[in-house]
Amino acid sequence: MTAPRSPGAPARDRTFAPDFLTELFRNPLDPGYADAAARRRSGAAVTGWRRDALRTVTVVTLLALGFLLAIAYRQTMEDEPNRAQARAGLVAQIKQREAETDQLTHQADRLRAEVAKQRDAALTGSDAARLRDLEAATGLGRVRGDGVVVRVADAPAKADAVTGARSGDNLGRVLDSDLQNIANALWSSGAEAISINGQRLTATSTIRAAGEAILVDFRPVTGPYEVSAIGPGGMEKAFRASAAARLLTSVASEHGMSFGVRGVDDLTLPAAAAPQLNYAKPVPQPSGSPSGAGRSSSPQPSGAGRQSSGGGR
Amino acid sequence: MIPVLALIVGVGLGVWLDPTVPPALLPYLPIAVVAALDAVFGGVRAKLDGIFDDKQFVVSFISNVLVAGIIVYLGDQLGVGGQLSTGVVVVLGVRIFGNVAAIRRHLFRA
Repeated sequence: MTAPRSPGAPARDRTFAPDFLTELFRNPLDPGYADAAARRRSGAAVTGWRRDALRTVTVVTLLALGFLLAIAYRQTMEDEPNRAQARAGLVAQIKQREAETDQLTHQADRLRAEVAKQRDAALTGSDAARLRDLEAATGLGRVRGDGVVVRVADAPAKADAVTGARSGDNLGRVLDSDLQNIANALWSSGAEAISINGQRLTATSTIRAAGEAILVDFRPVTGPYEVSAIGPGGMEKAFRASAAARLLTSVASEHGMSFGVRGVDDLTLPAAAAPQLNYAKPVPQPSGSPSGAGRSSSPQPSGAGRQSSGGGR
Repeated sequence: MIPVLALIVGVGLGVWLDPTVPPALLPYLPIAVVAALDAVFGGVRAKLDGIFDDKQFVVSFISNVLVAGIIVYLGDQLGVGGQLSTGVVVVLGVRIFGNVAAIRRHLFRA
C-alpha cells in the first residue's frame, strides 16, 4: 500500500497525508487498486493461467462472502426468538411467584384468623377483650367504625398540544410525602386506625417512593389513593383544618390534582400483616417484667407488640 | 456476471447447509460482515472505475475480515471490545459510504 503514487516524482513520496481521517473521507478506495492499474498500464500485468487462477480465487472469495452473509442473517434471526423466549420465561416466573405469594398470604391470613379464634376460646372474656383492643390499636386486628376517607389522585398528565407527548414534570402528581402528610394529619386529628388503599398502617409502617411508584410497607400502591381512617366524630373537621389538607387543597386548585375528604359511616379496615419482631423478644418469665407483677401469672406474648404501639402513638 | 452468480450461490449454500457457528466466533460475525461489505463495495467501485484487480480484492477482503476480527478480539481481551468495535464500524462505515457515493455517481451520474 505504500508504493509511490506517481513513479516520476520521487520527492512527493515524502509528503504524508494531512491526517488519517481527512484522507479517509477524501479517498475511501484502497490505494492498491490504483497501484495495480498503474502496474498493468506499465506492462507488468499478469496473464495466462495466473490470471485465471486469480479470477477463480475472486469467485471463491465472493462465494465465501455470500456464505458469511447468509450465516450472519440466520444467526441474527435465530437469536431473536431466544431473546423473546427468555423475556417471556422471566415474565412467567414473576407471575408464578406473585401467585405463590398471594396464595401464601391467604394461607397466612387464614391461619392467623384460626389462631385468633383458638386464642379467644382459650382466654377468659376480659383478657380476650383486652387483647382485641390492643390488636385494634396496633393495627394487627380488623376494625370497624365511622370515619373519613381522603381520596387523592394524580392530575392528568399535561399533553403537549403539538406533539402529543406527555410532559415529564407533572406538578399535580401525588407524592409519597403527600400520603405521609395525610396520614400524619389524620393521626393528629385523632384517628385510631388508618389504611391506604387497603394497606393498614401500623407503628412500623413506611410510606416511601421508589421511582414513580409509592410503596406502603414495601408494597406498591397505585392511584387513586384512598386513605381511610376511623376515629372520633370531630376528626373530619380537624383534618380539614390541618396544614396538610390546606396544602393539598391549594395543590389541587393550582395543578389539577384531585383531593377530596368525605365522612363515611361503618368503615372496615383490614388487619396489617403481623410484624416481624427481630429485636424485641417476649420475656419468658412474668416476674422479670416490671409491669407483670400484679397481673395473673399467664405469660403475655403480646408484650412486644404493645411496647411498639406505645412508642408509635 | 460470474462474481454476482458466485455471491448468490454462496448465499444459497449458507441457507441450504445452515452451519452452526461455534459460540466463540459469534461476537465477530457482525464485524466480519461489515469488513466484508467494505471490501465488496471497494471492489465494485474499482470495477466501475475500470481499475479492478483480482489480487487486490481478495487480499483486501481477507485482511479486512481478519484485522477487524483481531481488533475486536484484542479489545475483548483488554475490556474495551465495545469501543473498539465501534471504532472499526465507524472507519469501515465511512469507507463504505464514500465508495457507495462513488458507485452512485458512476451509475446515476449524480
